[in-house]
Amino acid sequence: MEEGILTTLKILIIGESGVGKSSLLLRFTDDTFDPDQTATIGVDFKVKTISVEGNKAKLAIWDTAGQERFRTLTPSYYRGAQGVILVYDVTQRDTFTKLDNWLNELETYCTRNDLVKMLVGNKIDKENHELDRNEGLKFARKHSMLFIEASAKTRDGVQCAFEELVEKIIQSPGLWQSEGHGRVHLTDEDAGGGSCGGYCSLV
Amino acid sequence: MAADSDPETEVFEITDFTTASEWERFVSRVEEVLNDWKLIGSSAGRPSPEKGEYTSGTWEEKSQEINFADFKFSITHHYLKQESDKSDLKEELEEDAFPLAMQDLLCMNNDFPPRAHCLVRWYGMREFLVISPGANCEAITSESKCNLLLSSVSISLANSGCQVPMFVQIQQKWRRLYAGECQGPGVRTDFEMVHLRKVPSQYNHLSGLLDIFKAKIGCPLTPLPPVTIAIRFTYVLQDWQQYSWPQQPPDFDALLGGEVGGVEFGKLPFGACEDPISELHLATTWPHLTEGIVVDNDVYSDLDPLQAPHWSVRVRKAENPQCLLGDFLNEFFKLCCRKESTEEILGRGLTEEEGKENTDLSAALSKLTEPAAAPMSKLSVSSMVHSARKHIRRHRRVDESPLSNDVLNSILLYLFPDAAVERSSTGTSDASDGRPAPPPSTGGRSEPDKDSDYNLFNQLKSAPSDSLTYRLALCVCLVNFYHGGVRALAHLWQEFVLEMRFRWENNHLVYGLASGAPDLRCCLLHQKLQMLNCCIERKRARDESRKASDGGKERERQLPGGGENVRRSRRVEGAAGAVAATGAGADAAREASPGKSWDSWSDSEDEFFECLSDQEEAAAAKEGEAEKGEAEKGGAGRAKPPDGRLHPHGTMTLLNPSTEPLYIPVTQEPAPMTEDLLEEHSEVLAKLGTTAEGAHLRARMQSACLLSDMESFKAANPGCSLEDFVRWYSPRDYVEEEGVDEAGAPVLRGELSARMKIPGNMWAEAWDTARSVPARRQKRLFDDTKEAEKVLHYLSVQKPADLTRHLLPCILHAAVLKLKEEESLEDIPSVKKAVQQATSHASKQLRHPNPDHKKLEEVISQLVAVETVIARARSLKAKFGVGKAEAGEDSEDLEKFVISLLEEPEVAVLGAGRGPAGSIIHKLFVSSQRAALLAPMDDDLVRPGGGADDRKPMGGGLNVPDFPPPAGREILLRTCVPRPAPYSKALPQRLFCVLLREDFRLAGALSSDTSFF
Repeated sequence: MEEGILTTLKILIIGESGVGKSSLLLRFTDDTFDPDQTATIGVDFKVKTISVEGNKAKLAIWDTAGQERFRTLTPSYYRGAQGVILVYDVTQRDTFTKLDNWLNELETYCTRNDLVKMLVGNKIDKENHELDRNEGLKFARKHSMLFIEASAKTRDGVQCAFEELVEKIIQSPGLWQSEGHGRVHLTDEDAGGGSCGGYCSLV
Repeated sequence: MAADSDPETEVFEITDFTTASEWERFVSRVEEVLNDWKLIGSSAGRPSPEKGEYTSGTWEEKSQEINFADFKFSITHHYLKQESDKSDLKEELEEDAFPLAMQDLLCMNNDFPPRAHCLVRWYGMREFLVISPGANCEAITSESKCNLLLSSVSISLANSGCQVPMFVQIQQKWRRLYAGECQGPGVRTDFEMVHLRKVPSQYNHLSGLLDIFKAKIGCPLTPLPPVTIAIRFTYVLQDWQQYSWPQQPPDFDALLGGEVGGVEFGKLPFGACEDPISELHLATTWPHLTEGIVVDNDVYSDLDPLQAPHWSVRVRKAENPQCLLGDFLNEFFKLCCRKESTEEILGRGLTEEEGKENTDLSAALSKLTEPAAAPMSKLSVSSMVHSARKHIRRHRRVDESPLSNDVLNSILLYLFPDAAVERSSTGTSDASDGRPAPPPSTGGRSEPDKDSDYNLFNQLKSAPSDSLTYRLALCVCLVNFYHGGVRALAHLWQEFVLEMRFRWENNHLVYGLASGAPDLRCCLLHQKLQMLNCCIERKRARDESRKASDGGKERERQLPGGGENVRRSRRVEGAAGAVAATGAGADAAREASPGKSWDSWSDSEDEFFECLSDQEEAAAAKEGEAEKGEAEKGGAGRAKPPDGRLHPHGTMTLLNPSTEPLYIPVTQEPAPMTEDLLEEHSEVLAKLGTTAEGAHLRARMQSACLLSDMESFKAANPGCSLEDFVRWYSPRDYVEEEGVDEAGAPVLRGELSARMKIPGNMWAEAWDTARSVPARRQKRLFDDTKEAEKVLHYLSVQKPADLTRHLLPCILHAAVLKLKEEESLEDIPSVKKAVQQATSHASKQLRHPNPDHKKLEEVISQLVAVETVIARARSLKAKFGVGKAEAGEDSEDLEKFVISLLEEPEVAVLGAGRGPAGSIIHKLFVSSQRAALLAPMDDDLVRPGGGADDRKPMGGGLNVPDFPPPAGREILLRTCVPRPAPYSKALPQRLFCVLLREDFRLAGALSSDTSFF
């Protein structure tokens, strides 16, 4: 089963309480929706292997509790994450306005500054939208994130959100492999052509 | 082939290759390669190269293996990449234009390129092919083999119509002997070479070489068209007379002799111990002479270097000069591979005792932390033993330990400057060396840099440059290098760990660490130390709050700080070498110890209480979640007075007795974590799997904090309900709706969200289990005693190699800062860039959980390379007197000149011998000559080299010539004459002569018209 897995990626889901983080995750991993999803305590964890453009990636997805008080605990799990999904509820404006706090949190606790961020506006199946798509788009652009609207209940956009995120992570190789590229040489005496560059006749 | 399918087709001709010889096959293979590389056809039409383009442009090469029978050759195509190819092609080509290589023979734009393939240097071509024996094959030494190869070349060039010159490498590789040929329409150039170990005396000057050139051309015309001449003499300066290398290895005994400031421990050394510039090569060039203008024969020469119209200089850099910073880094890095434990390094005698002490100590401490409290008397005895032991050890160390007492104490003073500050303010000992340690300096960098420099620790995962960890790294590095290597390091580490333990035991915060939870951006060791500080802080807070609540009965007792002061003064006395004072110190420590044990005792009482509650809880769990029991508990809670209130939650009131304000309780802070703990923790959580049970278990494991908060909440708000709690804790889970009451007035009706109402959900479950207990009476979520012990244990088992690995990021950090600081004095653009690159390279490695040893080595060598460049710059600046405040403009030019010497292979001297740089170079040569020749003064001034240059003194008025005999002479002769017959086309002819002390080479390119021959 483990064969051909390109890499294991750590992905985080964060956002205010009750915006549907766990439901999004459940929809993605098990393709189910549980209206009785309980409020997450601390962090939860799920695994799923997906294949993006022929590359298999194993996703370790950490789902976090949104409650203020848990927020002193959960940032510890931000460490080493390659991707993060920020979720807000399109029917609750305050879940959107608090996104700034979450970004700050990320800034402070994330160990890498090149992680890929995705903004997800959840619960679009509901009718009483308080936020339209453009506001989400604007916010995402401002903070250079990916953006999608989704509904864990109707499965709209869920698969797409995760796949897009993973693809983006795989595209930025610095995130999952450490490779040294070209660099300046200060002491290249023989950068010239072939075996007898330089003034070799005068040794 | 295709013909076979059609029997009607007649076969007109059969070509039989079955009997082709190896030689024929080789020729066809060469042709194939030429075809593949698209080297067929006219090469003319490209513009002649710009001046200096051979140096500034990019040379490329591709090569391929090619066999002659089973003998391996490689064929290589070298060419200058030219971009303007297409735009100039539109100029109509002459039908019979010479091949490019022939035109290049006469082009004067790139004579004596500073860096090029030797064939380029000799023949001035921008494109050529070389066939040379493969890597492990023997050289072509026999003449017949050589001719066979040359004929192959000739045939394949003719067959394919390739105009690129092709060479064959013959004889041993080091001799760099090539023979070759270039063919064009009706023309051919033969490349021939002579190579001798000695310069024949008749060819040791221009006139002799001209003779040979003319003889080779064998020109039928009289008079011969003029020959143009380019000459370059190279002089080598090795002996830098008045500029002896300024930097001495620093005297580290002086550093510690007498005054012991400790400041020096914060600095990394820098610079080269030997001159990083070994030679200066001056090339004097006469780029364009005509025959007859200059005279150079066996008795007289016009070629005075001072008069040469063009000077250029290159410097020869010492290979890997010994550089201090580099040595430091490398020595430090070597430690990473040591396998020995501290015990093995420090030797048995010292360790056995040390080890026993450690176990003693930890046994005592674990007793302290055991739930059943140890009797107080026993504790104070153990601490008395402890201080006595320390006392004894301090005496013993003087003669046995790898680090001398003085060094050790000054290091400790540097690491823990709080001790010195405290001491001078309390004034417990005489002020013999009572200078307080200065604040950690950030070096002489400019303001805007500081921010980015400060954040370097984030990039390198080291520690802030003013932190204890960083300072420790510097000390360890220094101790390793100067004060006894790995043994001393192990000793220092032991001492450091002891100090940490002392601070923990005495509630004395570790100085020089940012407060708060471990900073995950820093290295693990730093996090561990921060963790220890968290533990100390918690313990202190606990003790203090208890004291406050216990009221005045402990008033007379010293605050924990009292003990610290005593401790600090002990340390400082030690630093002053006043061993006599330790007696008093020991007394004081003994006095302080009971204070500590009292605190700890109370602490364990707390734990004892909690143990009971655990059992109670367990019992309750056994009974099952009986609703009755919970109701009872609830009832009990209501009866209790409120406890542990922090402040009211806005204007919110409880739901049930709606007059009562809702209070936010005092809660327990969550446990701080270091990255390894965190890793462990998340591994445990992840191991539970992704099943529903796993998730449930995971939630349960993490509900301790929730439960604790619920208990605190219950204690602060007697009579509250889960709804109340949720309104504070997770407001979005309390849904309010506007409605109307029976009277028709608008009211807010609220209820728990659907998910909170699910029967048996973990929140409700936890709420039911939670008793009404204020945070301070709860079981600690963070067991500081245990965590501190864990940290201290972790520290004590680190081997020197582990320690080195922990501290490596800090040392690299320090090295980068040092390089930046030094660079800012010199301002070398390439160095700035190189430092940045090394930093980002290091960043990539160090942020990796297990950095690759090899790659780290690379990082270090990058940093060392930067140091070397700076050292070279300094050396050159000293030699050329840059920065000695002379005439403004000149010195600016001079500085530019010096910098370009570092970065470019060869630098032209403006104004040649008469320019500002030129006159300095002249002086350098003159003084070196005087030193070399005037010392054995009375000897007749016959120079033993016996070269052409003995003929006349050059330049100066003294008997001593200003310049030594040239180390190398290059003479380039060119002309354009018809060959072989007077009516043939006039074709380029060229002879390049190299005359060294033990090497003589003539490289001729002679073209002839093949139309009628």
